[in-house]
Amino acid sequence: MNDKQNLTILLVDDEPVGVKVLEKTLQKEGYRTISADNGPLARRLASKKQPDLILLDIMMPGEDGFEVVKLLKKDPSTAYIPVIFLTGKDELASKMMGFDLEAVDYITKPFHGREVVARVRLHLKLSLATNSLIESQAARLRQIQDAQTSMLVTPEDLPDAGFGVYYMALLEAGGDFYDVLQISDDIYGYFVADVSGHDIATSYITSAVKALLKQNCIPIYQPAESMKMINNVLKEILPEDKYLTACYARLNRDKKCMTIVNGGHPPVVYLPKEGQTRLIEIKGDVLGIFSDVYFGVQDIRVTEGDRFYIYSDGLIEKPGQRKVWTEGLDDLLKACSGLREIPIRKSVERLKDMLLEDTIGLEDDIVVLGIEA
Amino acid sequence: MDFKGLADRLGLEKEEFIELAELFVETGSSDLRQLQSAVEQGDVQEVVKKSHSIKGASGNLGFTEIFGVAKDVEANAREDNLDGAVGAVVVIKEKIDQLAQAINEKA
Repeated sequence: MNDKQNLTILLVDDEPVGVKVLEKTLQKEGYRTISADNGPLARRLASKKQPDLILLDIMMPGEDGFEVVKLLKKDPSTAYIPVIFLTGKDELASKMMGFDLEAVDYITKPFHGREVVARVRLHLKLSLATNSLIESQAARLRQIQDAQTSMLVTPEDLPDAGFGVYYMALLEAGGDFYDVLQISDDIYGYFVADVSGHDIATSYITSAVKALLKQNCIPIYQPAESMKMINNVLKEILPEDKYLTACYARLNRDKKCMTIVNGGHPPVVYLPKEGQTRLIEIKGDVLGIFSDVYFGVQDIRVTEGDRFYIYSDGLIEKPGQRKVWTEGLDDLLKACSGLREIPIRKSVERLKDMLLEDTIGLEDDIVVLGIEA
Repeated sequence: MDFKGLADRLGLEKEEFIELAELFVETGSSDLRQLQSAVEQGDVQEVVKKSHSIKGASGNLGFTEIFGVAKDVEANAREDNLDGAVGAVVVIKEKIDQLAQAINEKA
């Protein structure tokens, strides 16, 4: 982040004392502030002054906060500006309604100066990290809209990637995330992560991770280098208690080589076309905590038809039984061995069904990503 | 009144806080006048609006007594109930007057 950058925050509230408190608090931290006491003025200012962040009161006469966000997101010139809602505790029930509108977070009133400053800082960091990756304004808009509308890539989107995926999030702000990227004609990247926590910030982190993958999973980086680059940005932008476990697999079909990098994630299952199913156990640190991070790497020679399954811990932790993931691994290996005859795209759901057949109600998000070489 | 403590909570200097408190006395008194006439006219919607404003402003500055009273008025008015609103207006007026006096003493 450039320290000299003059970050501008738009404050929208019809109640002048609240605006003044925010102005003083934020100006002390070196931010520029502009303010509006109604929705239409706020939208005009947002479009004209292009603030870096908007703090928006929900309950205002005329156009209320929800209406304002809807309209901001519709306008391409303001769609990418992050918004934090200001809301009374008793209006908190409305918070999910706000989240549907892609509002990134909320602060309850009466607010504390430190909380406001901390949240503003977090969202500006997230936003800058995402934005700094993208060169032109047009590309920036496209990217963020992409991240919002099609966060999750499907096998139909990338038929040559040879993968199948089962994804079930408990909440919209789910902590599990996956992505598949085409790196070159014959090279594909497959990524599965589990972000700690299930709050609203989590979903914003996943869109930042998606942008980071796009930027860093490129031919010039070795897979471990890509992960390190991503870790370094995440360490800057994540709040202290947030981290993610992740597994990144890069398949080079031309060289018949699968490279797996592990960051504190459960082991990948390797199901060779011929031979015994086994776990690829690789040690590695979680992402987002350490600057001097270590990720274990393993290269595997593959033949056509070999399969790999990457998954999140929800697949092997049975609700109620309080099984930790290490204990579920035997069941997992057995189940995977039975998947050979099932097409890769169908096999992921089958695997989920086999492992969680007697489960009523999910306790965690689940992602299962199957890859066929 | 512990202006320094209230200011610390917001991360502000005492002088800055007093400035904001003055602004609150001004806007709060005006809101309160409108609240009072809304109560007298039985205009429930207006009572909700004005008590919401007073609640928000006082809450942001940490004036918890005013906040609590305004909050009750708003919650009741949302249920078409203006019982106790007359008394609440008197209490809020008293508190704002006390605040104005405390500000004058510091200034």
